[in-house]
Amino acid sequence: MIRFEKVTKRYAGPGRPALDQVTLDIDKGEFVYLVGQSGSGKSTALRLVLRELRPTGGRVYVAGKEINRMAGWKVPRLRRQIGTVFQDFRLLPNKTVAENVAFAQQVIGKSQREISKVVPETLELVGLKDKADRMPDELSGGEQQRVAVARAYVNRPMILIADEPTGNLDPQTSVGIMNLLGDINSSGTTVVMATHDHGIVDQFTKRVIELVHGKVVRDEAAGSYGFQHLDSQPDEQEG
Amino acid sequence: MQLRYVFTELRTGLRRNLSMHLAVIVTLFVSLSLAGVGILLQREADIATDQLGTQLQIRVNLCTVDDPSASPNCAGGEVTDPQRERIESEIDASDEVDSFRFETKEEGFAKAKEDPTIPDVAFEGENPVLTLDKWPAAYWVTLKTPDEADGIISALSGLDGVSGIVDQRQTLSQIFGIMKVLKYGSWIGAGFLLFSALLQVGNTIRLAALARRREIGIMRLVGASTLYIALPFLLEALVTAIVGVGLAAGALAAFQYWGVENGLAEHISFLRWVGWKEYGESLVSLFPPGIVILGPALTLIPTLLLTRKYVKV
Repeated sequence: MIRFEKVTKRYAGPGRPALDQVTLDIDKGEFVYLVGQSGSGKSTALRLVLRELRPTGGRVYVAGKEINRMAGWKVPRLRRQIGTVFQDFRLLPNKTVAENVAFAQQVIGKSQREISKVVPETLELVGLKDKADRMPDELSGGEQQRVAVARAYVNRPMILIADEPTGNLDPQTSVGIMNLLGDINSSGTTVVMATHDHGIVDQFTKRVIELVHGKVVRDEAAGSYGFQHLDSQPDEQEG
Repeated sequence: MQLRYVFTELRTGLRRNLSMHLAVIVTLFVSLSLAGVGILLQREADIATDQLGTQLQIRVNLCTVDDPSASPNCAGGEVTDPQRERIESEIDASDEVDSFRFETKEEGFAKAKEDPTIPDVAFEGENPVLTLDKWPAAYWVTLKTPDEADGIISALSGLDGVSGIVDQRQTLSQIFGIMKVLKYGSWIGAGFLLFSALLQVGNTIRLAALARRREIGIMRLVGASTLYIALPFLLEALVTAIVGVGLAAGALAAFQYWGVENGLAEHISFLRWVGWKEYGESLVSLFPPGIVILGPALTLIPTLLLTRKYVKV
């Protein structure tokens, strides 16, 4: 589903590359943790999958297509196959829960009939059916993240990318979000989650890819967060 | 495409950036009005040239029996045939002359009687001011270039039998001069204001993109097309253009009705003035572009260029 072939990403300015000759394969339906210190290249890898960035070298494939050479007008179609969840939720404060979720469908031109059917279903899936008319600031952090997951999943993407989805949540709420992501994964969606959260990685055992200074240093089928690389220094680039 | 969503976003965008949109509308309104007035003045100059072009001549009045000019050229009384032949050969030989015709005093007098600008009282009474005897025969000389007449004027002014030379261009050149100043003045003014409108459109889009950056970010991530993201911006620009063009069209119509038809045309009746046909041209002509073309072009083109920059997928 996602394939990196010797991918290097170098930002402008001096310093080592954010990603350095990274090669990895993520199959359809997998749940993968991308772990590593700040600046290790996790977010860069996710942004490459979304074609927000282009690699300096190497090739990135998503759903069988090499996306770094994809024409600009085809990028929106690629992104419709990918849902994205962020640490800071990124909800629209002037829209209700249901409107936030519907927004992801409206802007890609889905019909009102389809939106009316799919949005309540998705809100039920994330356990927020009774809070559809609430505004985001009336919800707890965990609930806001559930709305963000609902928005990412409402178009039923093949891939769900989660960048530190539990970073702003307490451990108990984080477990709820992980269960939700697990449910989504069970439905066949590939989930790639960048995280710092040791507890979560160790508690919900999945495949772990560890990045240090832009290189893959570990790829374990059922790994833990791991402590062998805690001595590594943060990169100068964003992570 | 979700039209309801697009129109909701349009309404929100217009409300959120109301003061900037009003600024763009007012600037567009004033600049397009000036540009429209410039087009009308250009059309007026064309009309006046068509109408009066044949009058851009010089008239060489020949001496009469008791010539009122008291010119030394008329010391011998009424112009004689040899004097007339000399004058005619001088005109004929001049490089500056395109063509000429001789007008007898009878023809000239008959024309003067029909001229609405000469009051009837001048021909009436026991001792009328204007009589056939006092009316001069004349040569009407059309120039190759209206600007070049010094040679022929100086060649003729000293000849016996020439009472005086009336340069028709002097009167009309004042009118054309005023029109030219007004036309270029309105275009220069319109140019500055249109440039200012262009910058304001740019600022409006920048602010709108800033206000909507979170929405735009999410739209990009969920796979909205560039057109879909840019559509509310384009529609906002179109709405401001339509309102600006509408106001300017109204102002030009008011100028045409009160300023031209019931103003200038009543006071200066010897000129034919621009009508509603020319008003229509000021709205939709291609060159110079009418305000219906200019207004949307000025808002939509910068919007398209800037939205490509700010909402790039």
